[in-house]
Amino acid sequence: MRGPAIRAIGLMTGWGVGAVAVPPDAVAAAGERRVLALDRPALDPERFRRSPRECVLGVAAVAAMLEDAGEGPEAIAGEDTGFVFVTAAAYAASNRQHIEPRGSNVYFPYTAPAAISGEVAIEYGIRGPYGILIGGPTAGVDAVAHAAEMLEAGTCRRVLVLGVEIFEECADLYDRAGGLDGPLVEAACGLWLEAGEGALTLSRGRGRRGSADGARRRLGEMLACEPLAALALHRASGRPGPVEIHAAWRGETTSLRWSHAPYRARRRAA
Amino acid sequence: MGVQGLAGTSSEGRPTPRPERIAILAGGVCTPIGQDVDAFWSALLTGADGISRIERFPVDDLRVGNGGEIKKLTRAIEWSRVPDCRASRLLVSAADDLLSQAGARPLPVAPERLAVVVGTALGGVEEGERALAGDVGRLPRALYDAPAHALKRWLGARGPAITVATACASGATAMGIGAELLRRGEADMVVAGGYDGLCRFVLRGFNGLRSLTRDKIRPFDRRRSGLLLGEAAGLVLLCREPDAGARRLGTLLGYGSASDAAHIAAPDPEGRGIERAMQGALAQAGVDAGDVDFVSAHGTATTLNDASEAKALRRVLGARLVPVNSIKGAIGHTMGAAAALEAILCLLAGRHGQVPATLGLEELDPACDLDLIRGAPRALRPRVSLSTSLGFGGCNAALVLQGAA
Repeated sequence: MRGPAIRAIGLMTGWGVGAVAVPPDAVAAAGERRVLALDRPALDPERFRRSPRECVLGVAAVAAMLEDAGEGPEAIAGEDTGFVFVTAAAYAASNRQHIEPRGSNVYFPYTAPAAISGEVAIEYGIRGPYGILIGGPTAGVDAVAHAAEMLEAGTCRRVLVLGVEIFEECADLYDRAGGLDGPLVEAACGLWLEAGEGALTLSRGRGRRGSADGARRRLGEMLACEPLAALALHRASGRPGPVEIHAAWRGETTSLRWSHAPYRARRRAA
Repeated sequence: MGVQGLAGTSSEGRPTPRPERIAILAGGVCTPIGQDVDAFWSALLTGADGISRIERFPVDDLRVGNGGEIKKLTRAIEWSRVPDCRASRLLVSAADDLLSQAGARPLPVAPERLAVVVGTALGGVEEGERALAGDVGRLPRALYDAPAHALKRWLGARGPAITVATACASGATAMGIGAELLRRGEADMVVAGGYDGLCRFVLRGFNGLRSLTRDKIRPFDRRRSGLLLGEAAGLVLLCREPDAGARRLGTLLGYGSASDAAHIAAPDPEGRGIERAMQGALAQAGVDAGDVDFVSAHGTATTLNDASEAKALRRVLGARLVPVNSIKGAIGHTMGAAAALEAILCLLAGRHGQVPATLGLEELDPACDLDLIRGAPRALRPRVSLSTSLGFGGCNAALVLQGAA
């Protein structure tokens, strides 16, 4: 398929804002900390009074993406913007709160993964084609591929790919369930994709190989956000040329390869 | 990507190639009114009512405790091979029917070339409920993508397994993404569709929203007062059209989706999102609204859904009266399964030359002035059908389907 261009990236992680905050080694940087949490962004308290943290993080990541693009919200409003949201578990905290209410109960519709993207779509007026994928890092790669298909099909001019993962409220459950290694690093990452040049190749296999370029070692466990954050790291590295992102989840591997450097030059907001 | 002429113009005004059409080889279902396609179809035609008092978990403390519950999974499946998880078992039950309908066990495709794409509103959330109640061994199955992987293992598939969660539009989105996998050559066959099981989590939630009716489900009726939930799974077997033989259920002509950007829990009152999704599906299909012979509506029987959907359908279809039905009166709103079941219904109508009536509809709401099929099935053999789906978060999706000739 045709390789989309990456116009902008907004990355927020438990390490801080942007790729520059990501340490060289997640395990060493985390020390004794099991979860690297993201604070609830300080957005309009009245507008987001019922919104759980994962929803507000999604909104904030898109704001960071727009700042990276040097654009205002109007640039992504309307029917020409497609939207692909991806997460493995961002809904788990609200699900748990609904199952075992503590203090105020969650408004039930916010237990749905679709509430996170719905809140973002409402905030920015995104009305184009729409998809929501659930899964670990491989779903993050699938989300980028689905967005590329939307662009190639000509159903929209740009696509927002948004990943959100939070862990703090369910950290004890992840520990009991097992299977997630390393520090759990909360993340919210928005990618702005638009039509580009060259080719994008997706390949699949079986195994446990994650980000071959060391992104996973730097990022920690970010589930579906891992490949999106890996793109942010790659861009920040300043290495020109093709990009390869590898992801593994539940015994499947998925790799995405751009035949060329996909990053568009950034314009800074005035 | 195979090109069969031009589908229209892109958002940038350039001509876009029409995507390759996708054959639907067979369907498989597990529903409150039938656990195979033939029983499901017969029950729809005879007006069977799948709504009952829920028995599988306590509901006495809830305002409404009725729904489309499957009392017992009746297919002869080696259940020890399937996780003890309601959602996974619904999926596997529908898949077992799918294999029977396809006449192939295993499916005639290399495991690496068989993909699974399923949609859900709830995933494995009941496993989370049970884990938090003390059965911690269920925790790994609580993530929403766990049932898709259980289905993949049961099928022996080794291709991609993708979970979609566009709420109650998930089944349609899954079929759209399944078609996409085929077009870009990532698989040669895709088992696509949706599922959701009933559990306290969702019953409590919808009771809290006061969305559930104490009356019958009455889609598009003047007296409609809400929905009831149901549990089900619906799956279709997709392949590229040139790879399909003569034996098929129909063709997926087009898929469209759109976001409302209006409200977290309610549809856009004007139905603009579902209108865009329908227009997108028609454009991908390369057919005009005038070609549509039948609409399987989302038709949940909530005041807002049916009115907004009717407005959107009138704008898309124009003044022409196109027959419309909703099957939610018979089985409840089966959430992630709904769109796949409704797609199968469209294709069965094309095969059998009859369209089931809308159970529960007695007095048509004047605000929903559509040609709703009510009272008795209508003799009609739709060639091109349109199926609509809406969900929480402003998710909208539409499918354009063609019955086998």
